[in-house]
Amino acid sequence: MGTEYASAVAAVKAMENMLFTYSDLEQLINARTQNEFDALVNAKDNNGLPEVWDMLRTYAPDSKELEILLYRNDFHNLKAVLKAMISDRQPDGYFIRPSNVSSETLKEAFWTKNTDILPEYMRETASMAYELLTRTLDGQLADTLIDTATLTAMQKSAVDFGGEFIREYVQIIIVCADIKTAYRCSIMQKSRDFLESAVCGSDIIDKESLIRAALGGTESLLGFLEHTVYNELAQLLKDSLAKFEKRCDDMVIELAENARMKAFGIEPLAAYYIAKEAEIKNLRIIAVCRECGADTHTITERLRKLYV
Amino acid sequence: MNSMGLALAVLGAASAALFAGIGSAKGVGLVGEAAAGVVSVDPNKFSKVLILQLLPGTQGLYGLLTAILMLSRIGVIGGNAAELTVSQGIMFLGAALPIAVVGLFSGIAQGRAAAAGVGITAKKPEHNGKGIIMAAMVETYAILALLVSILLIYNISI
Repeated sequence: MGTEYASAVAAVKAMENMLFTYSDLEQLINARTQNEFDALVNAKDNNGLPEVWDMLRTYAPDSKELEILLYRNDFHNLKAVLKAMISDRQPDGYFIRPSNVSSETLKEAFWTKNTDILPEYMRETASMAYELLTRTLDGQLADTLIDTATLTAMQKSAVDFGGEFIREYVQIIIVCADIKTAYRCSIMQKSRDFLESAVCGSDIIDKESLIRAALGGTESLLGFLEHTVYNELAQLLKDSLAKFEKRCDDMVIELAENARMKAFGIEPLAAYYIAKEAEIKNLRIIAVCRECGADTHTITERLRKLYV
Repeated sequence: MNSMGLALAVLGAASAALFAGIGSAKGVGLVGEAAAGVVSVDPNKFSKVLILQLLPGTQGLYGLLTAILMLSRIGVIGGNAAELTVSQGIMFLGAALPIAVVGLFSGIAQGRAAAAGVGITAKKPEHNGKGIIMAAMVETYAILALLVSILLIYNISI
């Protein structure tokens, strides 16, 4: 009988009308000049992700569930601040917004060597990554550690306080990330130790089975995936990594599409944020493809599914 | 014993207004929250969402109507209260129950349906009418309960 966030859900539904539609994207693709392209983008009264996030937080200030959506940004920022510190640079230019942890807090945590001021889901990873990076100066190792920790933190939080929607969302993110990592590792013939540190594992795709398949080479990996519920992803991987990544993004949007049908609850808010992320990704794809002189067909093929 | 009968009847009238009113207040409040969310983004939709917000308000009116009819029937409104037996008092209390209980729950349920309808208005204002119809369906049961309450009130012999 929950009727939480009635006001926020209604506001979000009104804002959905401002999202880009397929015909809007078509117009952008076919824009003859950069000025025309810019005019079309600006005509949409567009808020960036930080503004959308601030709006959602005013409606749902205490939702820990929504925060899970930003874990990836938090951990990215952690990488940025660590690397900036090692190379004696300022990290601000590398920060992604929005994030749960402010850039000031992250900087302070490392400048004062006090990771206790970070949220619980980051604390241990931050200390470990700092220690690893200062000891080995190997950025890739630290990146791998943080990437896996991101997925593990999302998985743990989704189980601890996430609803069905967030749990499914996290599951898609983890499965796609794990498959991609395993695929790359199989091509590069990485060791079992590396795979064990890089693969997160989930209820759907068991970590040990995936590692074993990846150690056997790409054929073995694709063969293994064909016998899971994500066999469709294996088919796409055979074609290209770009198609695989597109399908992963589309799976998230399809999940969001179902969530937006709800009249109450946190799901439509999370779904709107995900839709906004996808919209920005689509705008980037169009802008970059236009810059490279790609034809309409190529651009359309790369576009992610829309929410509206 | 006569005053006990009257007290029970008055309790019935009060219950009708009280519970149906609570149902309406909750329903209207919920739709109001949703409506405010839409108007914060698009103030032009105010009149459309207002109709939806009014819908769960009717249960409170039905409760009020039932209470007035009952108080009038037992003479409390006219200042000439009837002498009721306990069984007559219980009958009046029973007569108030349909609108009291159904008014409470249907007010809340209609509020949920109308709040969901606000979502339709927000996304597709041209389909606002569909949201109103879906929320109005809940009204049927409040009307049926009102009808039963009125029939009972007028058929209890004093």
